Amino acid sequence: MKLNVNGKDMASGLILMAIALAGLYLNLDHSLGTARRMGPGYMPAMVFWIQAGLGALVVFFSLMNGPDPLERWTGLDIGTFLGGIVAGLAAFWIAPSIWGFFGQTYNAVGVGLAVGFFVMAISAGWKMLAIICASVSLFGLLFEHAGFFIGLATLIIVSCFAEPTHTKKGIVGVTAFLLALSWWVFIYELDIRVNLWPQF
Amino acid sequence: MDLLISNLGHGFGVALSFQNLAFALLGALIGTAIGVLPGIGPVATISLLLPITFGLPATTAIIMLAGIYYGAQYGGSTTAILLNLPGEVSSVVTTLEGYKMARNGRAGAALATAALGSFFAGTVATILVAASGPVLTQVALSFGPADYFSLMLLGLIIACVLAQGSIVKAIGMVVLGVALGLVGTDVQTGQQRFTFGIPELSDGLGFVPIAMGMFGIAEIVLNLERPESRSILSTKVGQLWLTKEEFKRSTPAVLRGTLVGSFLGLLPGGGASLAAFGSYMMERKMSKGRAMFGNGAIEGVAGPEAANNAAAQTSFIPLLTLGIPSNAVMALMVGALIIQGIQPGPRMVEAQPDLFWGLIASMWIGNVMLLVINLPMIGMWVKLLSVPYRFLYPSILVFCCIGVYSLNNNAFDVYMTVLFTVFGYICSKLKMEPAPLLIGFVLGPMMEEHLRRAMLLSRGDWSVFVQRPISATMLGIALIALLLMAMPNIRKGKEKAMAE
Repeated sequence: MKLNVNGKDMASGLILMAIALAGLYLNLDHSLGTARRMGPGYMPAMVFWIQAGLGALVVFFSLMNGPDPLERWTGLDIGTFLGGIVAGLAAFWIAPSIWGFFGQTYNAVGVGLAVGFFVMAISAGWKMLAIICASVSLFGLLFEHAGFFIGLATLIIVSCFAEPTHTKKGIVGVTAFLLALSWWVFIYELDIRVNLWPQF
Repeated sequence: MDLLISNLGHGFGVALSFQNLAFALLGALIGTAIGVLPGIGPVATISLLLPITFGLPATTAIIMLAGIYYGAQYGGSTTAILLNLPGEVSSVVTTLEGYKMARNGRAGAALATAALGSFFAGTVATILVAASGPVLTQVALSFGPADYFSLMLLGLIIACVLAQGSIVKAIGMVVLGVALGLVGTDVQTGQQRFTFGIPELSDGLGFVPIAMGMFGIAEIVLNLERPESRSILSTKVGQLWLTKEEFKRSTPAVLRGTLVGSFLGLLPGGGASLAAFGSYMMERKMSKGRAMFGNGAIEGVAGPEAANNAAAQTSFIPLLTLGIPSNAVMALMVGALIIQGIQPGPRMVEAQPDLFWGLIASMWIGNVMLLVINLPMIGMWVKLLSVPYRFLYPSILVFCCIGVYSLNNNAFDVYMTVLFTVFGYICSKLKMEPAPLLIGFVLGPMMEEHLRRAMLLSRGDWSVFVQRPISATMLGIALIALLLMAMPNIRKGKEKAMAE
């Protein structure tokens, strides 16, 4: 039989299997118990074995039901993907020693995510995903400490770079409009408890 | 019958309170708006409004969210007919005949049929929900844990069989969803599972970050990658009424559509879009005007529009009576109820009569509102389309982010949303359906609980699942559904139906 590989299905199957194997490994810590008195590890073990089996099945079928190749990655895509991971991890480790604020709660995670996604945004293939994710990560970092207005303005302005047809005037307009709208909805009407301005 | 009327009376009493009316209207308005706008659907909208419903009473919150779902079915038809642009998946088939009708100068008639057909179907479906709810609830109360487990398994399998694309992949996504639901403290032993020592995970992964990341923000990224193509409105709406002949032709189509839609809405994995497709196929084969199909047959608008609205409402039946969500929107409703501290299930009718009957009454009230919102105000909704996506998506992001953050006032949830955005993006690139994952995630913890209880009662004997008649029937149906799909002929038929 002629092989007719479906790249998308094969990748999906491998992802399912990888997650299942990681889950089975982590589940070694939990006691299985018996079928009558199931321990905390019983259901996870069952679920992950089924998932691994389904993943293998998907991989098996993917050899025949193609062709549906994965989208091609350019050299820059691969470079920025790996670079983003390295830069993100580095920022995550180093940030707390640069400024104590980054060491508090999950701020280092936010710094790492933002740095990593900005590196990925260099290549056109990742641009939309990376800029949107970076803007949301920056929002997480800034919203609590830099306050409602600065956090939201950063989110809106950074996210606007994901769409090439935005003009300067348009960005200023949409930022002003959304700040006013969200102030009215969330602060005036719903009264959520957040700082409006920077608190350090 | 008397009881039904008095219960419905109670429901109308609840639904007609000022606050509930106001939020039903708000839901209907938001629903119509997102129905008109392509690129944002009810799943994304409901997930980004979930955190906001936190501050509302449970009944009001659910009434509003339900309004969004069926409102979107009305709104979706408008752009489908006028611009050949389906605002929702469920109105894809409406473009086939509806846009042709608009080109023939019968846009007004098409819009009127769509709205009137939807209204009729909505009314019938509301009565159906009210009548079948308490009966099914009685049946559900006799279920043991083993029956529940099998029922949920059946729900998951049928949801996969009806999902688009490969079934094995869809089941894989369901199981992954169940696996994600395992994260957190084990209810019976108190042991932390898969939490990596992160205190925020001890209550489990958040429902909102997953839904918002995979359906809200990942959707934005995918829309941005597809360049925008919107034609400018050139068709005149014309007069919003039907000729006698059109009325005569659309009546049986509406009746058939209501029937098909009500049934398909009940099935797990069904819901509005499947109903619309089903009804379209039926009309093309059965209606008197089938020769006109492809050239603007009014039956092709009336049937599917009635069907999608009927299904949007009957899909509440499994949720309200059994606590089982049949599609992604219903999974979000479970999320909303759990945020409110209500466990959906057969006890809801007894424990939360206000919510149960109030919601049903509000569905009918919402349909009346939608008729008014849609027909005379159609021009206003079409203008909404002139807002370009580049102004729309920052607004969606703002609501998503504030919503996620304010859940626990913790940036951790925001970072989880980012992770699930990336995961949702990968899934759609690999053609893995995110909806089964969400249903699995919601049902997973309940399934584990029922499984453990069933096995404890049976003293570790697995045969309990085939010995109890209800449970055995459920498993049997699930097995048949799977086997049917394994047969090449039927699978090809399904693929063909999905492709059309």
